[in-house]
Amino acid sequence: MRHPSTLPITLGELARIQPLAGAETHLADPARKVEQVVLAETFERLRRCTPHVLVVLHDEAATGGWSLASALHLAWERNLSAVVVSRAVAGGSSVALAERLNMSLIVIDEDPIDLALQLAGQVSAPAAARALRQARLAELLAEQTGIRGVLGVLNRELQQVPVALVMGGVVIAGQSAALTERPQVRQIEVEVHAPGERSAARLVAAVPVPGPAAVDQVESLLRLARPSLQAAWALSRLDAATRAAHEQAAFGLLRRLAGEPTPSEPAEIEAPSWASELGWQVGEANRAVWLAPVRPSGEPAPEITFLVRASWQRGHTTWPLVAEGDGWISWHSAADPDDVSALRRALATFRESAVAHRLVIGVGRAHAGVGGLMRSVAEARLAAHVAREDGPGAVQWFDQVGANAALAWLPTTEIAQVADLCLEDLMAARDRAALVQTVLAVLDAGGSLSQASQQLGVHRNTVLARLARARQFGLTFEEPGQRLALHVLCYALASLWSDATPDADGH
Amino acid sequence: MTQAGYVGASSSITVDDVPALYEGAKFYSPAVGDANKSSINSWLAGLLDRNGPVPLLKVEGVPPETPCVSVCVLGSGSAMADLPPAGDEFELAVRQIERLQRVSFGAVYPLAAATISALVAVVTAAQLKVPLLDADGMGRAFALIHHTAMHLSGVSPTPLAAVGPTGESVLVEVPAGPRADRMLRANVDTVGGWAALAAYPTTAGVLRRAALPGTVSRIANVGRLLLDRTDPDLLVTRLGAITGCRRLARGRIAELEHLSRPSDVTIPAHPSSLVVDEIGGLGRQLRIELRSEIVAVFADGALIAGAPDLMCLLDVSRGALATLDSLEPGDVIDVLVTPADAVWYSPRGIEMVGMGSHGIPLAHPRRR
Repeated sequence: MRHPSTLPITLGELARIQPLAGAETHLADPARKVEQVVLAETFERLRRCTPHVLVVLHDEAATGGWSLASALHLAWERNLSAVVVSRAVAGGSSVALAERLNMSLIVIDEDPIDLALQLAGQVSAPAAARALRQARLAELLAEQTGIRGVLGVLNRELQQVPVALVMGGVVIAGQSAALTERPQVRQIEVEVHAPGERSAARLVAAVPVPGPAAVDQVESLLRLARPSLQAAWALSRLDAATRAAHEQAAFGLLRRLAGEPTPSEPAEIEAPSWASELGWQVGEANRAVWLAPVRPSGEPAPEITFLVRASWQRGHTTWPLVAEGDGWISWHSAADPDDVSALRRALATFRESAVAHRLVIGVGRAHAGVGGLMRSVAEARLAAHVAREDGPGAVQWFDQVGANAALAWLPTTEIAQVADLCLEDLMAARDRAALVQTVLAVLDAGGSLSQASQQLGVHRNTVLARLARARQFGLTFEEPGQRLALHVLCYALASLWSDATPDADGH
Repeated sequence: MTQAGYVGASSSITVDDVPALYEGAKFYSPAVGDANKSSINSWLAGLLDRNGPVPLLKVEGVPPETPCVSVCVLGSGSAMADLPPAGDEFELAVRQIERLQRVSFGAVYPLAAATISALVAVVTAAQLKVPLLDADGMGRAFALIHHTAMHLSGVSPTPLAAVGPTGESVLVEVPAGPRADRMLRANVDTVGGWAALAAYPTTAGVLRRAALPGTVSRIANVGRLLLDRTDPDLLVTRLGAITGCRRLARGRIAELEHLSRPSDVTIPAHPSSLVVDEIGGLGRQLRIELRSEIVAVFADGALIAGAPDLMCLLDVSRGALATLDSLEPGDVIDVLVTPADAVWYSPRGIEMVGMGSHGIPLAHPRRR
């Protein structure tokens, strides 16, 4: 059984519930506790106030700018919590003075006497006031239908307490400040299970201690947000799943359109109207982007698609994201084929997410029309394969790839298996890596021993000796009929072994 | 005749003293604008030129049985600029009381040695060809005619005569001094918006204890300092030597507030306040409360000066007094405070002209 907190209510809490919720507040310290409410009619009454009192001015004590200035000074002298005054009396300079004295000032439109009575009730029963606040928050949360909306409400209501929704180490919504560890800040986590989901997301709040909001109270508020969050999640997932299916089907149609009638003149096909209904643009210069995992493992899970979509479409909601094969296709359409500034910006903002999800990115060239788009998609895919060499977060533009892209397509694993069968002796040798590397270097250098030795950083005689030993194991690369096959084999083995950890002895 | 820039005692007022008198009179009533400056100055200068200097006598230097009367301008200064005096109003007002009391006044003194009232006292003395007493009833300007040291000493303001620029006059006799102001206010508009007032007819012997001495020569001295345009810091030091004034703060006007708030009905004024950000020092926020004059100065909400202190603003860029109607946000000003004469800090004095009379129920900083 949890007992409601009986600590004195704080200014920050009072300011969140009626009647002060509608007032103009200038709080110097929302964490200030309020122990008592005093309705001060005279300056004499003000002088008798004890510390931690919230004073409501009226009558003689609220006759003009000077009276508020004088009251603020007295409040400062008496260490009061806050001064409440009606709007007719408070001007901009009064707010400036309150800030200067570090005194909280609350400007109201209501009758000061009524307000003082309501506040006195709230201060005398802090638990009731807190319950009122929770009820208000629950109402606000219930109105939200999106994840961002729910986090927005939490962050607005829990002033000075940043809240974030985190999934797999990535902030999906809210303030990432919630994750940074700081002294005198306690992190509170509440797990949120998405419906039918194994992995859970977490709501994280960084509560300053001591702060305006008690830790257990923040926790109960976070729990209060959980159902709204789950509902919002389910809704958006439903939406996202529908949209993903829709986009996938539409892209399939588009591809068929490009492939069917006259493949020789692909630029002549016009984009069908249903493409623009999806918000897609197919125009003069279509530049495709292929997002792919570094280590492809079949079709990505819908959750990953969801996350990738969320971060890729941040700020570019009309850019498509179509799951295709082991990656995702997107494209950017512009009038000028050389205009890549928008794309570069998008890639820069996406980089962090790309690293987090271990993705690489390939970018195709700009081509016109639907057929051009398909061509750009193919280029982007090639470029993405090349990008894998540089690890997660790498971006490869097809313009800079050229024919080397062909190498990226080699099924290195399968070719290495061929080596296991054909070059049994070589694969059994302890120095096989050095031998393969040397042969590859010589072949790459067009047979020049001096260039190869320079590239390897060993003596020319060492290269000669290694070549002689390689020949014994069947690497007879001088024979024209075997040269291409052996070159490919060496490339495959070298790239495979360089990918593996250095101390691994083959596989 | 005194040298230009001379500061000290003098026994007469000459043509050369007129500009200094005007400036000094302004120092003690900073709310008053300059609408009348040239006309009143040239009027007085002409009179002094024709009739010769007016003797300025200490009250002790006059036989105690000498009948004396005070004069002042009643009503608004801008009305006086619109409807200038015909020239005989003050003389007529004095003559009316002379006829009523069957006396012949041997000396004139200003009701307040401040505002134009200080100058019209010299005018009246020159016209009547009698000496001017170096004394007055306020030592600065207050709003109502019974706000005088004479009233505090039990001298009645009546019988009094008020003569308007229209030539009409009102003669008032009341048993209780404060009633006189009420009756006069009702008539001032009718007789032309302002009136020449002759009041507090008494003898020099009574004035020895009832009036504030040395106040006329004081404004002449203050005026000479102000005319000698100099560095504001030096000016404040010099003024301090004569008047006891000191600078509360220097600051930049941040805001002019014109708020309609409940105001004390007895004093005709619209309250407003001036917010000044202090330059240097503690960087305090000053709030200067204005009625018909500056009635209180708060620093960060703490009262640091208030009526009956005389507070005035010095325009730092010009090295001259700033009148309250010329202020604008952005101006750099010195806030000066000058103690009033001691009689105003007595319980009765504070009750009559203290901050309470302006609707500020706080204890005066000099009495805490």
